[in-house]
Amino acid sequence: MLPVASLLILVPLIFAAVTFFTKTKDQAAGLGLIGSLVTLGLTLYAYLNFDSSTAAMQFYESVPWVPFLGINYSVGIDGISMPLILLNAIVIPLLILFSWKEDREAPNRFYGLILTMQAAVIGVFVALDFVVFYIFWELTLVPLFFIVNIWGGEKRAHASYKFFIYTHVASLVMLLGIFGLFYTALHQTGIPTFDIRELIAQFQFFESGLMRDAIFLAILFGFLAKLPTFPFHSWLPDAYTEAPTAGSVLFILLKIGGYGLFRISLPMLPNTGNPNLMIMMLGLLGSFSIVYGALLALRQKDLKRMIAYSSLSHMGFVTLGSAGLVALSVSGAMFQQFSHGLIMSIMFMSAGAIQTTTGTRIINDLGGLARKMPMLAVLMMVGFMASLGLPGLTGFIAEFLVLTFSFVNLPGFVLLALLAIVITAGYHLWAMQRAMFGVYNEKLGSIRDINSMQVFSMGVIALLVLYFGLNPSPVLNMMIKNSEAIVSLAAVMGV
Amino acid sequence: MDELMYLAPEIVVVATGLVVLLAGVFLSPRAKNILGYLATLGILAALFLTVKSFGLLTMQGFQVGYSIFSEALNIDALSQFFKLVFLVVALIVSIAAIKYNENSDHTEEFYTLMLFATFGMMIVASANDLVVLFVAFELASLATYALAGYEKQNPRSLEGAMKYFVIGSVSAALMLFGLSFVYGATGTTSIPLIAANPGLLIENPIGLVAVVLLIAGFGFKMALVPFHMWAPDTYQGSPSVVSALLAAGSKKMGFVAAFRIFIVALVALQPDWQFIFTILAVATMTFGNIVAVAQTSVKRMLAYSSVAQAGYIAMAFAVMTPVALGGGIMYALAHAFMKAGAFIAAGVVVWMVSQEKTGNLDVPDHLDSFKGLGKRMPLAALSMTVFVFALAGIPPTAGFMAKFVLFSSTIQAGMAWLAVIAILNSALSLFYYARLVRYMYFLPPEGKSVSVPFPYAAALLVAVAGVLVMGIWPEPFVELAMKAAMVLV
Repeated sequence: MLPVASLLILVPLIFAAVTFFTKTKDQAAGLGLIGSLVTLGLTLYAYLNFDSSTAAMQFYESVPWVPFLGINYSVGIDGISMPLILLNAIVIPLLILFSWKEDREAPNRFYGLILTMQAAVIGVFVALDFVVFYIFWELTLVPLFFIVNIWGGEKRAHASYKFFIYTHVASLVMLLGIFGLFYTALHQTGIPTFDIRELIAQFQFFESGLMRDAIFLAILFGFLAKLPTFPFHSWLPDAYTEAPTAGSVLFILLKIGGYGLFRISLPMLPNTGNPNLMIMMLGLLGSFSIVYGALLALRQKDLKRMIAYSSLSHMGFVTLGSAGLVALSVSGAMFQQFSHGLIMSIMFMSAGAIQTTTGTRIINDLGGLARKMPMLAVLMMVGFMASLGLPGLTGFIAEFLVLTFSFVNLPGFVLLALLAIVITAGYHLWAMQRAMFGVYNEKLGSIRDINSMQVFSMGVIALLVLYFGLNPSPVLNMMIKNSEAIVSLAAVMGV
Repeated sequence: MDELMYLAPEIVVVATGLVVLLAGVFLSPRAKNILGYLATLGILAALFLTVKSFGLLTMQGFQVGYSIFSEALNIDALSQFFKLVFLVVALIVSIAAIKYNENSDHTEEFYTLMLFATFGMMIVASANDLVVLFVAFELASLATYALAGYEKQNPRSLEGAMKYFVIGSVSAALMLFGLSFVYGATGTTSIPLIAANPGLLIENPIGLVAVVLLIAGFGFKMALVPFHMWAPDTYQGSPSVVSALLAAGSKKMGFVAAFRIFIVALVALQPDWQFIFTILAVATMTFGNIVAVAQTSVKRMLAYSSVAQAGYIAMAFAVMTPVALGGGIMYALAHAFMKAGAFIAAGVVVWMVSQEKTGNLDVPDHLDSFKGLGKRMPLAALSMTVFVFALAGIPPTAGFMAKFVLFSSTIQAGMAWLAVIAILNSALSLFYYARLVRYMYFLPPEGKSVSVPFPYAAALLVAVAGVLVMGIWPEPFVELAMKAAMVLV
C-alpha cells in the first residue's frame, strides 16, 4: 500500500515549491496542473482502495514527532475526510485550467500558492494529531492571505487583513481549547498525548464543570468562525468578494470548519454539561444563518457578493444537519459540504468569467448575457439551479436529507429554514433573470463567450453535480458509517 | 587544567577576539575583510565545542553539571543552552558584518568588541557567584555600549548609544545595589550558598528591597516595561548588525542572569518576585504590541515587537512550572534566530537605500523602503516574511513551537487568563507583521532589483534555517530546553 495520506500532502507541496521557480505563465500553470493531476491520481487510488463498510481509520500512519509532549505525526483517512479530499482533488486541476488564460502578474507565485493551499487543506483533512491538525489549519491562512492581497479586487487589503486576523484569533481560541483538552487529559492519565481520537475519548472522563464546557466551546468557536456561521461570518462577504476567482473557489474548498465539527465537536458534544443546550445553540445558529444569509443575498447588487451571502446561507445547512444528530441528517450535512464545494465553484467561476468579460459584476448593469455567452449561460444555470435546490442535482439531496431528518429533533428550526428555501429560490432566479436574460445591455459592447478550457472545467463540475445529484450513493456511502458512529456516541449518552 | 577544558568555547571566543585585534594592527584596510571570516570561524569552532559539551554533560547525567573555579562558574545544561543562543546570534551577526564592515578602517574593533561582548554573555550564563555575574555582565554591556555608537558620524546612532549608556549605567548601579543587599543579608556572594539559607532573606526586610532593585536592574537588559525606554531609540539608531546583537543576544543575557538570581538564589522570595514578574509580563507584551502598531520605521517596529516578545518570555517567571521555564528557555533560542534574522533583513534594506541614495535617507528603514521588496530582493523579502510570520507564531516555525510550549504551560498551571492575554497579544502582533508583508509583496516597487550581497544572504539563510528546523524538528530543542529548566527547579 502507498502511504497515500502523506503523499497527498507532500506531492502538492513539492510541486508548489518547483512551481515557484518557473518563468512563464504556461510553465507555471502546466506544472501546477501536473501536480494537481498527480494528486488527483493518488486520491483516486485512495478512493478505489477505500472501504466504505467501516467507520475505522484507513491508510493510517503514525511516527513520533515530539515524544516529550506526546506529539505524533499521525494521519489517516476515513469517511469524514475522503469525500472532502476528493472534492479538493477534483476541483483544483479544473480551477487551474479555468484560470489558465487569464493574464496576471507573477503566475509562478499564483499557481504555487494554489498548490500550497491544496497541501494545507488536505493536511487538515488527514491529520489525526491536534498539533499536526493545527499546523495545517493555520497554514491555510497564508496562501489565501497572499492570493487575496496580491490578485484581489479594489478593497483587497482590507479584506485580506480582516480574514487573516479574524480567523487567526478564532484559531488561537481553538488552540486554547486544545491546550485545555491536552492538560486535563494529562492530569487524569499521566500520559501526554495530542492524538485527536484519544483526547476525544478522554473527554468523557473529565470532571463536569466550567473547564469542560469552556474547552468544548473554545474548540467549537474555532470551527464556527471558519465555517462560517452567523454571527461569526463578518469576514466572509469581504474575503469572498475581493478574492480573485481562483481565490473565491479556494475559500469554497476550505471546508475545514465543517470538517472539524464532524471530526471533533460532534463526538465531544454528548459529554458536555448540557448537550441539549449545545444542540439547540447549533440548531439556532444554523437555521438563522440560512435565513439571514438568504435575506442578505436577496438585496445584493453585486453578483459576487450575492453568491458570497448565498454561501453563508448554504453553510447553515451544515450546522443545522450536525445539530440534527440523526445518522442521515449528519450525512446530509457532510454531503452538503461536498455538494456546496462543487456548486459554489461553478457559481464563482461564472461570476469571475462575467467580470473579466464585461468588466462589471453589478447585476443591474448586466442583462441578456445569454445571447452573447450561451455556453456560460448553460453552465451557470446548472450551478444556480443546483444551488436553489432543484431535484436531480446535488444541492437537493443535501438539503433534503438535512431538513427531513433534522425535523425529528429540531422541528422548529427546520420550519424556520424552510421559510428561507422560498427566498433562496427567489434571489437565484431573480439574479439569473436580470443578468442573463432579457434584452442585451448594449453598453457592455461586443463580448465573447468563455474559452474552451473554461467550458471544460465548468462543464466537468456541472456533470458531477448532475451525476451525484442523480446517484449520490458513491459519496453518501462513504459518510454513512461515520455518521452512524457519531450518532451512536450521542445515543449512548442519551442525548 | 581540567577545569579550563570546560571553558573551551569561551577561550576560543576570547582568543579569536585577541587575534582579530592584533591582526588588525598589521593589516592594510583592504586586507581587513579577512578578519570577518576569521571571527566567523572562531565562533563556529566555539559553537561546535558548545554542542559537543552537551554530549559530555549527557553522559555524566545532565542535571548535575559541574562547578569549576572554586564554584565560581557552573557548567550545566542551562549555561550551555544559553551559550548556544549567544553563539548563534554572534554567528549570524558576524557573517552579516562582513559586508557591513567592508572597506571600513575599524573592522578589528567591531569584531573584537562583538566577541568580547559574546564572551561576557557566555560567562554570565555560567556565573555561580554574584561578583562574577556582575563583572561579566558589565564586560558584555561595555562592549555593546561602544558598538551601539559605532557609527560616529550618524547622530541617531550616537543618540541611541548615549541613551543606552546612561540608562545602562544607572541600571548597573541599581543591580549592584541590589546584589550588595543580598550579600548584606546572607554574608555570601555564592549563589548556591544564598539559596541554601532561605531564612536569612525571608526574615530580613532588606530582601524585598533587593528584589525590587534587581528587577529594575535586569529589567533594563531584558527591556521589560517600564525599563524599556532606551530600546526603541537604540535599536533603531544602531547599525542593524548591532541591533541584532542587542535584541537577540544581550537581551537573553538579562534573562539567563535573572533565571540564576531569582529562581536559584532568591527562591525564598518567590511569592514576591513572581507577582511582580506577572504584572511586568502582561504590561510588557501589551504595551510593546500596541506601540509597535503605530511605527513606520521597521527597526523601531522590530524594537517594540522585541519588547513584546520579552513579555512572553517573562511569562516563564510568572508561571514557574518546569514546562513554562523550558518554554521560556526554548523561546530564547527561537527569538534569537527570528530577531537576529529580522534585523539583518532590515539591515539589507538600509544598505540598499544607502547604496542607491534614493528614498528616505533620514529614516532608511522606513516602511516605504520595503515597498515591492518581493520583486526587488526576493531573498531578503522571503526571509523577512519567514521571520515575521515566525514572530507572530504561524506554523511551522520556531516561533510557533516556542509559543506552543510556553502558552500551553500557562494553561497547565491554571493561569488561563494569562494565556488569553498572551494569545490576544499574539493576534494583535499579526497586524503589524502582516502590514510589513503587505508592503513587501503587495505594493509596487520603487526602484530596480538588487541582488543581496553574499554575506548578508548567508546570514539570512542561517537564520531562516534555524527558524524552520526548530519549527519542523523541535524534538531536540524541546528536550534540551527542558533539561536546562531542570537545572533551575
